[in-house]
Amino acid sequence: MVLKDCMKRDVVSIPPATSVREAARIVVERHIGLLPVIDEQGKLMGVVRLHDLLSLELPDFVNFISAVDFVHDFGAVETTRPEKALLDQPVLSLMQPAISVDEECGLLRAYALMLQHNLLDLPVVAKDGKLVGLASRVDIGAAVLANWQNPQAVQP
Amino acid sequence: MTGTILSSLIFLASLGIIFSEKLNRTIVAFAGAALMVGLGMAYGFYSETQAIAAVDFNTLGLLLGMMILVALLEPTGFFQYLAVWAGRLSHGRPVRLLVLLGTVTTVLSMFLDNVTTVVLIAPVTILISEILGVNPLPYLMAEALLSDTGGVATLLGDPPNILIASAAGFTFTDFLTHSLPIVLIAWLVALFLLRYLFRRELSVPPANADAVLKLDYSEILTDRKTARRVLIVLGVAILVFFFHSLLSISPAFIALSAAAAALVWVRPDPAKVFKQIEWSVLIFFVALFIMVGGIEATDAIDKLVSLIKNIENIPTVLSGVLLIWVVAGISAVVDNVPVTIALIPVIQGLGASGMNIGPLWWALIFGAGFGGNGTIIGSTANIVVAGISGRTRTPITSKLWNKRGLPVMLATCLVTSVLYIVLFPLFSR
Repeated sequence: MVLKDCMKRDVVSIPPATSVREAARIVVERHIGLLPVIDEQGKLMGVVRLHDLLSLELPDFVNFISAVDFVHDFGAVETTRPEKALLDQPVLSLMQPAISVDEECGLLRAYALMLQHNLLDLPVVAKDGKLVGLASRVDIGAAVLANWQNPQAVQP
Repeated sequence: MTGTILSSLIFLASLGIIFSEKLNRTIVAFAGAALMVGLGMAYGFYSETQAIAAVDFNTLGLLLGMMILVALLEPTGFFQYLAVWAGRLSHGRPVRLLVLLGTVTTVLSMFLDNVTTVVLIAPVTILISEILGVNPLPYLMAEALLSDTGGVATLLGDPPNILIASAAGFTFTDFLTHSLPIVLIAWLVALFLLRYLFRRELSVPPANADAVLKLDYSEILTDRKTARRVLIVLGVAILVFFFHSLLSISPAFIALSAAAAALVWVRPDPAKVFKQIEWSVLIFFVALFIMVGGIEATDAIDKLVSLIKNIENIPTVLSGVLLIWVVAGISAVVDNVPVTIALIPVIQGLGASGMNIGPLWWALIFGAGFGGNGTIIGSTANIVVAGISGRTRTPITSKLWNKRGLPVMLATCLVTSVLYIVLFPLFSR
């Protein structure tokens, strides 16, 4: 089994001009963690992760203090919302370079890449760079574990 | 003659490159020192033996000893613990928080490295400000400005103090009787001025004052045992510092013995501790000593001294005040360590020609110390705090520093000048 056998083909993607607010609306509506950004030809330009959107609201100190366990109440931070101007800008400002793989990629390679780059979802592209699918850790992991149920596939 | 010109050229060119910030200061000084010794041997004005003799091991030993103690204390969470304690004690009241965080930073930086202090306290300051819902800028700037100001008070507070104490033979208690009273007043002036300059930010009531009370400081002090041991050693060392001239032992010996005692008691992973030592700072000092030693080996400094003697017929008190402002002006835009190392032989030369240089040493200490507050790049603590705030939503800009930091430098220098004139008999002794 390779990636194209377990990935999702119905992918919600956005053009780069989408506003941050609109991107957030799509995330809420579709309950997803990653928005691939594609150009007019459908080629993958980058990604906007749930975390990139949330970073607009996450306090600065989280980047400086490695263990926030001792902060039992985030106080004013919990009720601070991002400024309107930040939400009106295009998602391009939050877009991250995408780490993607092609459809024929092996499952363990895909999983190892996600682990090492700390990815929760992995965009899948065709040879011409067009976005064709998306696989989550669960999609890939479950596909690997599915082999274990097949007696011939497990080593004696 | 060749030696005079060559040595001065190497030194001035190195300083120029350091100040232009085109190249790292340690690399420039290192190369300059090698060039000084090389050309010195080729033209016969400087030797390897003289170069080694030019290194002030008292300054290096003191810096190294204190760096080891800080390297042991840092991972225990003690610095952050104090900042959280200040936050809780403030009950979220802005002015009280400013005073408490400023005081904690000042007291720590009177005995420990300013940069380590602000690097560890600034993140907790951002945390406290954010959960309170207030602007962190007044607190961050106060920490940088007050730690630099407080550092002037003690022999251990700031590298120029260590250098001058070593050259002039000032003791730990000399600083407490001469520098501490002045700094105390200058520090209060700085605090009130900051309170005034940031009056708008400080009048915004915190959105959630209760959140600071829920900070758990027992969780942040992760290594209580080590913290206690290092603090006991540090406390004993500071006690011994009071008597170092009486016992006729050097501050370096005290600091290094304290570091040795702490290492034996804590028994840490040595690789981790020694990785924390700022070797580049120590190498920078050695290289500057060797470079200035090259100039001293020629008659360049004698020429400069006779030049100053010729134009200077003004009373010592006025030349002292002038020195405060000139050194402060230079230290505001450049690193005060090379300035101090370069001026030490000049003042020693003036002393050899019969001038009473006691007051000039103190003027140099005040100018080099307070001058650093003038600009965002004036001291390493300023650069570090600005760097940390640059990674937040409210960065400290050069423009902001000129509006809120520069007045603090001018005010502290002014107060110090007045006190210097009034208390001049004290400094002449």
